[in-house]
Amino acid sequence: QGAEVTFGGLKHDSSLPVEITSDQLSVDQSTGKAIFSGDVLIGQGALRLSATTVEVIYGANDATKISKLIATGGVTFVNGGEAIESQRAVYDIQAATVALSGDVILTQGANALSGQSMIVDLKTGTGRIEGRVKTILQPGQQ
Amino acid sequence: MAHFDNFHSRLVARAKIFLPLASLALLATLFLFARGGETTYDIPYARVDIESLAREQRIDGPTFATVTDDGAELEISAGRARPDPSNKNVVNSTQVRAELRLPDKSAVSMIANDAVIDGPSRIAELSGNVRVQTTTGYAIETDYIAATLNLSKIESPSTVTGQAPSGNISAGSMEISKNEDSGEYLLVFKNRVKLIYQP
Repeated sequence: QGAEVTFGGLKHDSSLPVEITSDQLSVDQSTGKAIFSGDVLIGQGALRLSATTVEVIYGANDATKISKLIATGGVTFVNGGEAIESQRAVYDIQAATVALSGDVILTQGANALSGQSMIVDLKTGTGRIEGRVKTILQPGQQ
Repeated sequence: MAHFDNFHSRLVARAKIFLPLASLALLATLFLFARGGETTYDIPYARVDIESLAREQRIDGPTFATVTDDGAELEISAGRARPDPSNKNVVNSTQVRAELRLPDKSAVSMIANDAVIDGPSRIAELSGNVRVQTTTGYAIETDYIAATLNLSKIESPSTVTGQAPSGNISAGSMEISKNEDSGEYLLVFKNRVKLIYQP
């Protein structure tokens, strides 16, 4: 089953420049495949996505356009006040969506939600969490 | 000498005397006048000043090519090269252009102001606004790179900045080398890489 969650609330502008920093970037000379490794941090506006490795997927017909960033290994995705942790995340820059998978834990202030996978639509600021969703609410906080 | 009354016969008679004499004179002097003096063209020779060339043992436009152990071709050409006065098997050269063609058909081309090629230690050090261009679309500027001559390895220990296919990139150091286990040739940026991509 799934749960609809408003996430981030603030509008995310996906035309802002994307900045990727890491310890190392290795590019395969024959295929051009680029992999960032060593506490990689992807930043765009208020969005932060950190992971141990991030692979860059270029656009099918235009190698100068990045279509997806595949982050794996201890992913933490922060946008505004909320944070999501998972094993893996795919940030589709063109579609402005982030698909997280592998024990997803969403913390919003004191409340926490966990599930198997989550899709965040950055344009609308909403997220959909699926697979064995568990909610932990801290009563009496607000 | 018979006398003739009409002008024609006198003319013919005189012609019979002058024309043979004229031809005789013409024939005689034919070989006297040379056909215009043989102008000596100056021999074309390079106007390079010979003494400094000899003294410095300078070579203009040299190229140096080698094949590395893993089958990559490295070719270095320069505007001018001269042996290092202090150490004879080290060659200093200026306006350097180097090209490393890797077995997997990718290539790295480099341009630098000057280079020091050290034979025994098999290192070519390029310095002076070095530009590196790879077929995977990376154009990198740095101020020093070391290319190993016997195996395909290019290292730049100092900061590198430049253009990646998708945006501009900067890093603490860079290395192009063969990954031993996977056998692929990798361009690796190290020490805090930063890529800025404008969607």
